Amino acid sequence: MKLILKQVLIVMFFVPGIFSSLLVNAGISEVPFGIRHYDIGSAKNFTLIDIDGEKHELTNSKGNWVFLHFWASWCGPCREEMPAIQQLADKMKGEKFQVIMINTAEDEDTVFEFLGSINVDLNSLLDVDGAVTEVWKPRGLPTSFLINPDGKVKYQAIGGREWGSPVYINFLKKLLNTDAKLLK
Amino acid sequence: MLKIITLMLVVTNIQAAEPVVVKTPDMELGFTPRTANQMGSFYEARGFPKAMRDVLKQQCFITVGIENTSNKKIWLDMSNWEITAGGKPIKREHRNYWKQRWQNMGIPLSKQSTFRWTLIPEMLDYLPGEREGGNILLPFTDKPISITATFATGENKQGEKIIITIDELFCAEDKE
Repeated sequence: MKLILKQVLIVMFFVPGIFSSLLVNAGISEVPFGIRHYDIGSAKNFTLIDIDGEKHELTNSKGNWVFLHFWASWCGPCREEMPAIQQLADKMKGEKFQVIMINTAEDEDTVFEFLGSINVDLNSLLDVDGAVTEVWKPRGLPTSFLINPDGKVKYQAIGGREWGSPVYINFLKKLLNTDAKLLK
Repeated sequence: MLKIITLMLVVTNIQAAEPVVVKTPDMELGFTPRTANQMGSFYEARGFPKAMRDVLKQQCFITVGIENTSNKKIWLDMSNWEITAGGKPIKREHRNYWKQRWQNMGIPLSKQSTFRWTLIPEMLDYLPGEREGGNILLPFTDKPISITATFATGENKQGEKIIITIDELFCAEDKE
């Protein structure tokens, strides 16, 4: 029995590839405030159009970490959080990371006008009847989900986070690096 | 066997339709009554149909904010809230009631969805530091409202219960 335990410890500490795999499967245990582990399995697919009329399907984002963000223009914390999401998108540019925003149950004109008024360079998908939001069941608005490159939902974050701050950026880069190590 | 200790807090003598904030060592609760005009304006600006707004104008809106200031998990379950007006129980309609009502009225799905997002969740767990809330809707009354809100705590809801009672909260009315 002692021998088996010793072997397990040796494997964990001296075979980093296996250990990092365990880390990915379990998720990173230390998460910044406001982010929750949310291991619910495969992300539910959807097809929606954005404010430019382009069609997007979630499964096409596989291979990237996806920051899936649900919001509405009438929701105060959603409005406040937009500049932070812009910072997040800027700081993660060039990484295998995508920001996908979904507006909940508002029309194209409202979304277009709102995004234009707050000086951000962000597009949004339009969940005009709110059906996709109902399927995803965020805890509230705004809510963001983090989906891994295999298309599995891993984390959920309730609104109002300073996404551009080092604590969140470092956390997200750690997620990406953990994946990169696994692929080597 | 885990002993369940109950923390009770009663707030009384609040005489107006004004925001009420209750702070305990474990959580902070805010109750803000909204007038029919306040809510009507909000929903009108979101393009809600008149028929829907007319129904909503008959309701007593109270915006509830809940923050977990403890270091343990706290559970909201609206079925554990008891609400009375003038000493008699009044019914807070479940979100499923509203869903059915809007469907029967043929309200567009987008408006139904937006409405649901303005309601307080029926059940929610709060990690330390988390804050969430939403509106509760009651039949309008000019009588003083009492709310006894019971929250379970701990990972498996086995911790001490928190019971907070608010007395003499009033529906907000528009001034003539």
